Amino acid sequence: MITFKNIEIKYDDFVAVPNLSFAVNEGEFFTLLGPSGCGKTTTLRALAGFLKPTQGSIEIAGVDITAMPIDERQVGMVFQSYALFPTMSAYDNIAFGLKIAKKSKAEIDTRVLELAKMIDLTPEQLAKNVANLSGGQQQRVAIARALAKKPKILVMDEPLSNLDAKLRKSLRKEIKEFQKSFGITTVYVTHDQEEALMLSDRIAVFNKGQIEQIGRPQQIYNESATEFVCKFIGEANSLTAADLAKLGIEVSDASASDAFYVRPEKVSFSRTASAVNRIAGQIVGKEFYGMYGYYQIEIAGTKLISFQRESKAEQHRNGE
Amino acid sequence: MLFLEYFKLKGKQFLTLCYMIPLVFGGIMLSNGYLFTYGKRGFVTRFLIGHFPNLPADWFGGFGAVLFLMTFACTAHYMIFFRNAFKSIDFQTVEAARGLGASDFKILTKVVLPALKPILLTCIILLFQTGLMAMAAPLMVGGRRFETIGPLILTFTQRPASRMLAAVLSLFLGVFQLGLLFVIQRNERRGNYLSISKVKTTIEPTRIKQPLLNLGAHVVAYLFALINLLPLVVVVLFSFTDFKTISTRELHLNSFSLENYQRVLTDRSAYHPFLTSVVYAGLAAIAAVALMTIAARIIFKYRNRLTTVLEFLLYLPWILPGLMFALGLVLAYSRPRWIVFGHPLTGTLVIMLVAYIVVMLPNTFRFLKAAYFSVDTNLEDAAKNLGAKPIYSFVKIVLPIILPTILAMLALNFNGKLGDYDLSVFLYNPIAKPVGVVIRSNSNPEYGVDGIAINFVYSVILMVINALVLFFVYADGKTKIKQLFKKENKKSGE
Repeated sequence: MITFKNIEIKYDDFVAVPNLSFAVNEGEFFTLLGPSGCGKTTTLRALAGFLKPTQGSIEIAGVDITAMPIDERQVGMVFQSYALFPTMSAYDNIAFGLKIAKKSKAEIDTRVLELAKMIDLTPEQLAKNVANLSGGQQQRVAIARALAKKPKILVMDEPLSNLDAKLRKSLRKEIKEFQKSFGITTVYVTHDQEEALMLSDRIAVFNKGQIEQIGRPQQIYNESATEFVCKFIGEANSLTAADLAKLGIEVSDASASDAFYVRPEKVSFSRTASAVNRIAGQIVGKEFYGMYGYYQIEIAGTKLISFQRESKAEQHRNGE
Repeated sequence: MLFLEYFKLKGKQFLTLCYMIPLVFGGIMLSNGYLFTYGKRGFVTRFLIGHFPNLPADWFGGFGAVLFLMTFACTAHYMIFFRNAFKSIDFQTVEAARGLGASDFKILTKVVLPALKPILLTCIILLFQTGLMAMAAPLMVGGRRFETIGPLILTFTQRPASRMLAAVLSLFLGVFQLGLLFVIQRNERRGNYLSISKVKTTIEPTRIKQPLLNLGAHVVAYLFALINLLPLVVVVLFSFTDFKTISTRELHLNSFSLENYQRVLTDRSAYHPFLTSVVYAGLAAIAAVALMTIAARIIFKYRNRLTTVLEFLLYLPWILPGLMFALGLVLAYSRPRWIVFGHPLTGTLVIMLVAYIVVMLPNTFRFLKAAYFSVDTNLEDAAKNLGAKPIYSFVKIVLPIILPTILAMLALNFNGKLGDYDLSVFLYNPIAKPVGVVIRSNSNPEYGVDGIAINFVYSVILMVINALVLFFVYADGKTKIKQLFKKENKKSGE
């Protein structure tokens, strides 16, 4: 549905996005994930029309929108700061685009109330100035405002980054539910790996203006295509063929420069383990993380990290 | 001001209000009030002579009196600049010093004052400039032998033959002002005075532990407050008295009358200067704010060489002294010029309006530019995304956000020029004398009690307008009144 073809975006002489091509399917929740300054927001702003690519084209449903004015693209945007109009009520914020489109008062009323119901906002809350709403309510108003004109695409630029951890988790769920109920193609930008894994149908991992890998969350996590993706998406033990040999694992056709990555949760240990691939080691570091512990284990001169669920039955100590 | 802000003093709200008096009762009004209170036949002078018969009647005159008057008149500068800077000091730095064993004196000199160094220097320089260019205070309380550069320039300007001499003197002022600005900038560049705290806490007043010092601090604070308050109270009281009382300075219960107010409000020659000032100050404030709202927007949105030059030009009246600028206008537009469609401006009704507008530009621009900077740029992007055209999103989104600044600048500009004397005296047209110039003329002995009485009424009305404008526009008085009524309704409901 959305196609980026050989897109290049420059800020004066600096090339933020050198040559980008990817496609987003209709109804999909597609996330652009990457560290700060990797070009993900630039890509999103180009889709929304705030930036003009220096080369290439962007198509929505086969129509080239590269030079199309912002308001004709039918792309609704939720900003990182929400960008709610601070002098207006929640109602006026949601109705803003409809008023510009010169819809009748009755039409505006119907649409705003319909959206308010969907985002669980009462008429009293709708009448309030947006500054008097909670962080979660503000975020929902921002989504409703972006959806009011029934756009074909919804783009969201790190909409949860300003919220505390608890609220962020609950709103993630709501965003996912909204997207499903509205059935709208959504392009989402974040630097938060957990958020991307939880929300997305597919993820594009960005690095230095280029996509390192596109895939389903499980694919990205378990079958990372590059070292960058593997390390960015989560923690990993980085091992050489020699390290593996010390652990008693032999890999055929491996050169000395090859690297092998093992997720910490795949490394488990126990005093009484009887499973295969069992090697003796010593705990050299331990940090308590609540539900699980973060352990550093030395095995035959190689240090491995392991996430292990904490249980009363089996408590482990440093030096064990 | 440091006293008031740094130390814990009883009755602080009252003291703060007293120190704020020059904000609404300043310039020529204040000089007039001081003259009537502390002058030759002043209220306080009569009281003092009653107790100290050897005190000369003209004790309040010359250098000392001008210094005294200027010191108190300028507390308004400190009120605006110093207070804000003081409040932005991170109290945690004071607590940290205290925790490390520093005494209150050490904290004041090593932690608080160094953080205030730039604003203290700026304030000192501003006051120095104000003093250097003062017109009302030297002319009214300085006496015959007291001469400063401002009144001298005025005298030379009034005679066409010596206008070039006036120009040289004002050029000297301009060079001096540039030098002072250089000192401010160099000082600001030299160190970091901004708080580096992630979470700042509000500064709390320090209690003076030694009882004697504490008492001394209270005496000084209240004495200063009284000096500020007394001329205001005297002016308000005597504005409601008859000629005889004003002449004898002896108040009785039957002295009070509304005669002076009736005259000012009904006699055309009395209310005309007042209306002239309201119209001039109002028009100038509106024009300056309207122009700067557009200019600051353009300069904020488009950064290029042209806008940089425009910004520099807008700051020019701030760099050049008002007197130099006024004289420049007189000299430049005494002949027909193409820029004003071939008409001479000197002596016309327009020249004072132009001068008012131009001197308002730098500050208006500075505050409006800061207001534009505080608007989240995403708001306009969001409006654009929802289909709004640039003018629509400016009017509907940006303008309501910067409206408080616009109104505040309208209020400050209007108040600043309502009772103006220093600039007006160079440029006014005799058919439209502004109230500041009339107050000055009325204070001359030949105008007698009549002039003094009218001056009192002018001062009270100007003060009320200034206070109302500041309260409603700058201090969000409308909301405060609404909240007050809400509280009252709640109480009556209970």
